[in-house]
Amino acid sequence: MTGVIPDKAIDGALRILVVEDEALIALELECLLDDLGHVTIGVVGNSQEAIALGRSAAPDVALVDIHLIDGPTGIEVARALSADQRTTVVFMTANSKRIPPDFAGAFGVIAKPYSERAVANALHYVAERRAGRTPPPEGLDGFRLAAMPEGETEFGAEGTGPDLRH
Amino acid sequence: MRSSAVNPGSAAEVATEAFAAAFSASSTPMVLTDPSKHDNPIVWANDAFLALTGYDRHEIEGRNCRMLQGEASDPTTIRQIRDSISAETQLEVELFNYRKDGSRFWNAMTITPVRDEAGNLRYYFAAQADMTEKHRLETALKGANDDLERQVQARTADLLAALEQKTALLHEVDHRVKNNLQVISSLMLLKARRTPEGEARDALQGMAERIGALSTAHRMLYSEGDVTRFNLQDFAADFLSDLTAGVDTDRMAINAEIDAVAVSAAMAAPLALMMHELATNALRHAFPDNREGRLTISARRRDGGLNIRIEDDGVGISAGVPNPAGFGRSLVDMVVRQLRGTIDWDEHGPGTRVEIKIPLDAATLSGSTS
Repeated sequence: MTGVIPDKAIDGALRILVVEDEALIALELECLLDDLGHVTIGVVGNSQEAIALGRSAAPDVALVDIHLIDGPTGIEVARALSADQRTTVVFMTANSKRIPPDFAGAFGVIAKPYSERAVANALHYVAERRAGRTPPPEGLDGFRLAAMPEGETEFGAEGTGPDLRH
Repeated sequence: MRSSAVNPGSAAEVATEAFAAAFSASSTPMVLTDPSKHDNPIVWANDAFLALTGYDRHEIEGRNCRMLQGEASDPTTIRQIRDSISAETQLEVELFNYRKDGSRFWNAMTITPVRDEAGNLRYYFAAQADMTEKHRLETALKGANDDLERQVQARTADLLAALEQKTALLHEVDHRVKNNLQVISSLMLLKARRTPEGEARDALQGMAERIGALSTAHRMLYSEGDVTRFNLQDFAADFLSDLTAGVDTDRMAINAEIDAVAVSAAMAAPLALMMHELATNALRHAFPDNREGRLTISARRRDGGLNIRIEDDGVGISAGVPNPAGFGRSLVDMVVRQLRGTIDWDEHGPGTRVEIKIPLDAATLSGSTS
């Protein structure tokens, strides 16, 4: 259903860092991000490079797999990159059970195997939130938000997910 | 035993002699003491008593029974015996006693005051039983029980460790399967991107979508609770939002009624593939030239099985391009056969109606609807 995806990118391009050790997945993801009108600023497969590039480039969004070349280090990457207010971290993993309760500072998780639509929806949602808007949480299947800090429910009446405005 | 109280030759004397003979010959150790004499000495003991204690008759007659006590004899029990004797009441106790050779045994005794016709206390009669073996068995049994308990604990710990390992393994395999599905899907889409528009590209994209349907099904597995079940309603919710996203909702209406039914996990992939084929086929081929229409999908628990119906009001299969849904249709036929179900294609239109009946296993029928 690739035909519908470009419509989702109308809210402006995001600068995205892809942290993924599986070359094929990374390559296809890059193509998809391109289709969606976003800019991939880098693809890295290990935690040190990910953290280094993340700190120097301060991307809008970092898509982070948990299992990297150097082990289940995606959690550390998320913690390091989310320390920078300018970067929104979203996990992309087939191993959501490894995500700690505080999500290591990440905004949410796209479960693998994902559909292209799930990625498009998640990024659209992130872009809206970064712009200070609160889109309806419908159609987020495959994308799950981090738990709310102040006992808010996942899909609360007011905003969902951490506040991304800055 | 003295028998001066009865007349020689009388019936009473015969009885007394018979009793004396019986007591003497009894295999139960017995002893008689005389509290009217100093220090309540033993005045009679049977052979069984001598055999139990190892003493000769002359070594015990005239002595108090406490000669059998020793270090291991419980002072509380000894006090109990003394109190009972001074109160002239009956008592049953067990006490560690010592034989002549110094070996000890558990002596279970019943001490009974014996009175004459006037009610005056004449003797104390004590019958004994060697309980050493019984105590040994009890101790052994307790030891065996403790040992069994230890073994059960060790076994339980082993099983828990094995279960933990198994759970970790399941997560690992689950993770790998999901990752591989992602790689396969990425591979298909990459190739599709590099293929010029046309039949080949459509085929690749079609395959990627099928893998997507399988992926959705797999994502639902192991996600929570019972790993052996697959919740059709959860799958349908995800699957339908995927489907709806791909159509122009002004032109097309998709309705779905899916019962909450948790089928066996083995049915997840075939069911997912089947529903995907039927729904996408309908959307792709039933409404050419921006024709408006409606697609209705229902899955209901009926008569020991699952009834799935997919219905559209489009142009019908026969009206479509020749053999438009060829591969998809044979896929569906195959999958239905695999699920031991039946399929009925009704193309007499308007539109197409496909009805599938799939038998469910006993666990699904009796079990959860959540």
